[in-house]
Amino acid sequence: MTVTEPHPARPAPRFVRADGPDKVTGSGRYTADLSLTGVLAAKFRYADVSHARITRLDVSAARAMPGVMSVLTAADVPDVRFGPFVQDRTLFATDVVRFEGEIIAAVAATTAEIAQRAADAIVVEFEPLPVVTDLEASLATDAPLVHGDWADYGSAEVVVRDRNDASFSSITKGDAAAAMAGADVVVSSRYVADGCHAAPIEPRAVLAQWEGDKVTIWTSTQVPFDARAGVCETLKLPANRVRIIVPHLGGGFGGKCGFHYEAHIAALARAAKRPVRLVFSRREEFLAPDRRREGMIIDITTGMRTDGTIIARSGWIAIDNGAYTADAGFFSQLAAMHVAGPYRVPNVSIEAHLVYTNHQPSGSVRAPTAPQACWALESHTDELAKAVGLEPVAFRKLNAVDTGAEGPSGQTYDEIGLQQCIDAATANAGYGQELPDDEAIGVAIGWWPSFSVPSGAYVKIDGDGSGQIITGAQECGTGAVMTLRQLAADELGMAAEDFQLVYQDTSVAPYDMGATGSQTLFNNGRAVVNAAGQIAEQLRKLAADHLEASPDDIVLADGHASVAGTPTATVSIAELAGIASGGELLIGHGSGQPPGPPPLVGSTCVGDLGMAAFVAPQFSCHAVRVKLDRDTGVARVLAVSTAHDSGTIINELGALGQVEGGVLMGIGQALTEGTTYDDQGKQRNAAMLEYKLQTCADAPPINTHFVQIATPDAGPRGAKGLAEAPNVATAAAISNALAAIIGRPVRRLPMTAERVWETLNEEAAR
Amino acid sequence: MSESIDRDLTLSVNGIAYPVSVDTSRNLLSVIRTEIGLTGTKEGCDDCECGACMVLLDGQPVNSCSYLAAQAVGREITTIEGVMDGQELHPLQRNLLEEGGVQCGFCTPGMIMSATALLARTPSPSDEEIRIGLSGNLCRCTGYAKIIAAVRRTADES
Repeated sequence: MTVTEPHPARPAPRFVRADGPDKVTGSGRYTADLSLTGVLAAKFRYADVSHARITRLDVSAARAMPGVMSVLTAADVPDVRFGPFVQDRTLFATDVVRFEGEIIAAVAATTAEIAQRAADAIVVEFEPLPVVTDLEASLATDAPLVHGDWADYGSAEVVVRDRNDASFSSITKGDAAAAMAGADVVVSSRYVADGCHAAPIEPRAVLAQWEGDKVTIWTSTQVPFDARAGVCETLKLPANRVRIIVPHLGGGFGGKCGFHYEAHIAALARAAKRPVRLVFSRREEFLAPDRRREGMIIDITTGMRTDGTIIARSGWIAIDNGAYTADAGFFSQLAAMHVAGPYRVPNVSIEAHLVYTNHQPSGSVRAPTAPQACWALESHTDELAKAVGLEPVAFRKLNAVDTGAEGPSGQTYDEIGLQQCIDAATANAGYGQELPDDEAIGVAIGWWPSFSVPSGAYVKIDGDGSGQIITGAQECGTGAVMTLRQLAADELGMAAEDFQLVYQDTSVAPYDMGATGSQTLFNNGRAVVNAAGQIAEQLRKLAADHLEASPDDIVLADGHASVAGTPTATVSIAELAGIASGGELLIGHGSGQPPGPPPLVGSTCVGDLGMAAFVAPQFSCHAVRVKLDRDTGVARVLAVSTAHDSGTIINELGALGQVEGGVLMGIGQALTEGTTYDDQGKQRNAAMLEYKLQTCADAPPINTHFVQIATPDAGPRGAKGLAEAPNVATAAAISNALAAIIGRPVRRLPMTAERVWETLNEEAAR
Repeated sequence: MSESIDRDLTLSVNGIAYPVSVDTSRNLLSVIRTEIGLTGTKEGCDDCECGACMVLLDGQPVNSCSYLAAQAVGREITTIEGVMDGQELHPLQRNLLEEGGVQCGFCTPGMIMSATALLARTPSPSDEEIRIGLSGNLCRCTGYAKIIAAVRRTADES
């Protein structure tokens, strides 16, 4: 055995997920795979109209059907209005329905077929109300209100609201108007992005069972503690009587964040006195959740000196909130930050409005607002470069933030690697090479915050020396929870394989925010390191007694505790665990203090929703080579080169998987994924064949380089978040490649073949 | 609504004969998951769009959501639970893990079934043949690169 430092530098092992064997053999259970004796099937009755007043609701025929065990409407649950930012939502429609997927009633029956027939048998009559779908029209002072009672709703103190504007936010720094008036070159652009979907391959499912006054809910959520809070709030239950367990989760991408149907199913199960299970169809997955990616209108104006130095930026943003605010309350500030961008801009004036419409509600889908805002800003940035005769990458190098620079909201950045990302991604893409005239490489930069929040974990070592991590964290596929094993193992001089994980169970583990905000490793990693560190202290004391040495001289490595400098004085951790099992047990608990927000200087933000400064900000540059068929407008992505500053990379294989998946989602958003609506605000393409995800045949080679810099206020070992950042800049880079081929940008997202073809022909007609 | 007509069928799944009594309108996916109790085969869309429900019928990949159980009588059905070689992972399963081709895992069983069929008919596929061979299986997590690498490695190793 060798004696080494507590954190030995060893080659990164190939990462094999702890949950991997479950997933490749089919033995892993997802929520829809679970059943219970006597389980009933749940179905919802949806509004199916976008805006109307309910004039009649009669469930008597449904209740009378054989096999129907419970039918619930708003009259059967506590009268609670909820929402994390604006309390504008109820479990069931009360008086008015505001989007097609709004739930009017829920049915539990002995079979899914009976439940569906009963849901269909519910009599609902409506008086139509004006349907609001246009973002600009919705903000007009005489626009029909989506929520007539908006002023009476409770909301978080920081939310600035007015009529159909559910959350207003602004960034003001310096004097943008005066600087713009004095600028040598001014460029204004409008870009419009359609909404789109997270589209996890697993449709959501919920299974609830009561025992006495306690309920256990198995559910496909990314945020079990948030789901528990929602159940407790709406059904008026204390937290310790609601247990949320997430079986394996089949992807989320933000779409399964928040509180969804757990309370409906728990209420049905309580009323029916039987377990109840809900399994969504793909169509429901498209229509009902309050978690689709928001459509946006983005106006940007930038003033420059003739040498290309940016001196002022103003912007106006309208974001489609949909019918209810869900967790989108902070999107206005996030969007404003992404339209400001990771640039040195001394004078800034940006306003963002989160606008109610009668569309499906928006919510956190992977880097909310960022891909659309980055697409607009970075397409605009290539327009800026062209206007001053600079090459686009040189223009970015000139204006992008760097270590020590001040960003658009007045935050001065500590050690960051954006400039290095630009250099690496463009070099690896072969940027600057001669290409055929139907090909081009587009470049875009992006950024994203790390989310600093409380989080907890326990670690224990049992008498045989095997370890267990019991964490509140949620695994949605990224591998972030899987990577916790490596952190605990390294802290204790053990192997990752020595640890099993117990996770995503609210009654077993301490709080964690969930698989959201790319925060798992950043925050729960800190908690696990702290918890393991407590056991390391215990082991050092035990080993010191055993080896007659000082605890300070004990080194934990390779499964042993040894005296530094005396390799023969050693004892296995398993032996120490055996000793501990007869006395003080090896148990650690950890949380740790999350890093605080960075200071801001010289800016003011109305509607400050916590996003004006970015803790441990992540940066990226994507360079994408695109080929365009000029006859059809069909664009094909040939190759993608990315560089990411997400701090220290702890699990490289997992990190690469995040980047590659994010890039492909970005390609989908860029070219094919967009929700289309009819004139009544109802979705027209709520199916996989009409809403086109990228397939294996579309997938380009993706080259990734990680710029790893020791960043203050980062997570364990200098790690920042990663899961969302790769989704930010891809669509923007594709846009710039298309604009380089066509001669002008495509100003609508997704840049479908039809829209590209139109832009080509407009340019040709000039 | 029409009355259901249950029929006694015997389905052969992973070499085991299962007698079941099911409505003739039931799809193979639902019978495999509910009556036979093998839940490794997933339902992602119930419309032949995502490939999560892929099984092999006499070695041919089929979206079991859109195939009647009654049509599978007399044919050998292979599901993800039948892929392992005894207690050992099949090379595809092992390589998917080692190459990082598994994230949420929901598409993984269907992906493995399609890849198994691909390698059976084309033992040394080109990258393009792999891409086409797996294009009926949607994955939202991985960007496909590591799945392609795992199939490539499995072909190269055999």
